[in-house]
Amino acid sequence: MTRRNDPTMKRMSERLGNYEIPLTALKDGEAGIIMSISGGGYGRRWGFEKRLADLGLTPGTRIIVVKAAPFHGPIEVLVRGSRLALGRGISDRILVKKEERCGRG
Amino acid sequence: MRKRVTIALAGNANVGKSVIFNYLTGLHQHIGNWPGKTVERAEGTLHFKGYTIDIIDLPGIYSFSTYSLEETIARRYIVTEKPDVVINVIDASILERNLFLTLQLMELETPMVIALNQMDMAKKKGIEIDVKRLEDLLGIPVVPTIAIKGIGIFQLLEKAIEVIERKVSVRPSEIRYGKEVEERIIRLAEALRNIHSPYPPRYLAIKLLEGDEEIEKEISRENPKVVALARRLARELEEIHGHDRSTIITSERYMVASRIANDVQKITTPMKPSMGELLHSITTHRILGYPIMIFSLFSMFYLTFTLGNLLSEILSEYLYGLEPLLISLLGKGIIERLIWGGIIEGIIAGVTIAIPYIAPFYLILYLLEDSGYISRIAFLMDNIMHKMGLHGKAFIPLMLGYGCNVPACLGCRIMETTRERILATFVTTLVPCAARSVIIFGLVGRFLGIEWALSLYILNITIIFVLGRLAFKILPGEPTALIMEMPDYRAPHLKTVLKQTWFRLLEFIKIAFPLIIAGSFMIKLAELLGLLRVIADFLSPVTTLWLGLPAISGIMLIFGVLRKELMLIMLATAFGTTDFASVLNPVQMLVFTIVAMFYIPCIATIAALVKELGWKGALIITTVEIIFAIMLGGVTQRILTLVFGLTK
Repeated sequence: MTRRNDPTMKRMSERLGNYEIPLTALKDGEAGIIMSISGGGYGRRWGFEKRLADLGLTPGTRIIVVKAAPFHGPIEVLVRGSRLALGRGISDRILVKKEERCGRG
Repeated sequence: MRKRVTIALAGNANVGKSVIFNYLTGLHQHIGNWPGKTVERAEGTLHFKGYTIDIIDLPGIYSFSTYSLEETIARRYIVTEKPDVVINVIDASILERNLFLTLQLMELETPMVIALNQMDMAKKKGIEIDVKRLEDLLGIPVVPTIAIKGIGIFQLLEKAIEVIERKVSVRPSEIRYGKEVEERIIRLAEALRNIHSPYPPRYLAIKLLEGDEEIEKEISRENPKVVALARRLARELEEIHGHDRSTIITSERYMVASRIANDVQKITTPMKPSMGELLHSITTHRILGYPIMIFSLFSMFYLTFTLGNLLSEILSEYLYGLEPLLISLLGKGIIERLIWGGIIEGIIAGVTIAIPYIAPFYLILYLLEDSGYISRIAFLMDNIMHKMGLHGKAFIPLMLGYGCNVPACLGCRIMETTRERILATFVTTLVPCAARSVIIFGLVGRFLGIEWALSLYILNITIIFVLGRLAFKILPGEPTALIMEMPDYRAPHLKTVLKQTWFRLLEFIKIAFPLIIAGSFMIKLAELLGLLRVIADFLSPVTTLWLGLPAISGIMLIFGVLRKELMLIMLATAFGTTDFASVLNPVQMLVFTIVAMFYIPCIATIAALVKELGWKGALIITTVEIIFAIMLGGVTQRILTLVFGLTK
């Protein structure tokens, strides 16, 4: 599901030089540091950025991808000691810097 | 005289708040809604050390923003109703995330006590917490508890009373943010000093910097200059930090939470994953997860239905056995028939649904929920639910719908926005409930074969998807997506589950019974006055000409509003036989069943719709379904006649 005109995707490719990738690009078990969350126009009304931030997904936070549900389903992540399920569309909008050393903790 | 005080319970979802609430209040509780809202309000009372204590269980929330109804309600309650003390229940195994809310409660400057709950879970995860140190850092009494075992509850209550009795002794520490943010908070708080507001100035300052719409509105009424100042200061911060204002404040607050958490807890990762961890991996496994889910759900329905059928039969036998008694009292006459058929049969109808089916259904559901499994199901089903414009959480009410639409409609409250609630509720009423399944299997399944019954289910699912998708496109607003916590698995707390079941059952009775009884009464009256035939004749252009059904089926459609399975019983009474094959042809059976499946939510469901969406919403959904069912029935009749005609 590539959306070429999607501003997030575009920004993503622009930033690839800085190693900022969407959360969905992390493999199972990989960890990253959240750089930014931006919906563009998406999610303004129900405030998804605020919701994520309230759950502890703020810039600089370490996030571990545990696994993705099949059929393009949500992603299971660990953040600040809690286990969350995030829809795929949301995960696409969370930009992270991949942590090189793998491992949990 | 006893002194009356109020204690509010506040905390994240899934921290054991309701377990503590149930421990404290026992059966002295009342579950209703917050005035004018569809958010549940649980209250209870308790007597302790000469006090009469009112306990309010605030909705489970993660923060005090104004994006969700729950958060607004909780915040407003604390500042305007000013409970004597707030017990902040926090999950010791997810300390950092929980402290985020604690910090906000402290900023509201409400007297509080912390229940550091689920100490056992924390221990299992290798987390050790220095309670004394936490108490010192926060300046608030902290009581470690294991609510499901009742450990620490007494001490918690004692501590709460202590706080109430000598209010000043508690000195919450001031939470300090990073230098740039802190400077601006102080400056803004200074400017807010003389503002009339139930909120403390520092809290207002933080919220204004954050851009909280509600607070902004409130303050700009009194002093628009301060709001402008806050905007300017926030812009400065945005330039420094490179994030938007709300993110900056949230990050800063999390930084404080994280600092405290790291200071007081020691984590040693356990050598091997716990049982719960293992169970989680299996039940959310990309392949194994689905068969496990199907098996669990199937067992759940199978169990409720076998149990329900048995109980229902026994109950009916007893209750219907009461008729001779009434006859002996009133004699056999029109009054007896009206009272029996109109009122008592209505009550019996309610009782034989509520006790045998709804009660076990709720029980199993709450067992699944309390254990944490429901959120795993939502995780697995998210993608499929997206196809009809909803997300994973909506699968739960949808699934409930197969049992009974009433709890399913009430269950749609878990959806975040009004739009999603409407959408989920609409889709839910299309799901064939147990009563409709009786028709599907009793008519089509029995006389045309099981494969026809199953294809009706498939047709139903297809239509749910199509109509759901359509409603999704029509309804204005933005779709939300799944953001859901998956709490660690734990053994459900039976007492809490039983109480939840009990109070839900009461809620069901309150909603459904009056309408079922009123409805039966009206129909019985119509029958005794000979109006049914008139109505059936009036409907006959639709029933006979358009749907190709016997004229008498109009009466069935009327009765079906009360209880869908009555349609089949009425059919048998009307034709004087249960061998429906002799009176209906296959096309008629299918059309009859399809119409029955969709044509109107039953009267109890309509009541639930009114409760959840208001009269307008209920009316729209009902009308849409009536029109849709009749259209679909007519079209199917024509197609099937053609197909059957060709194959004959």
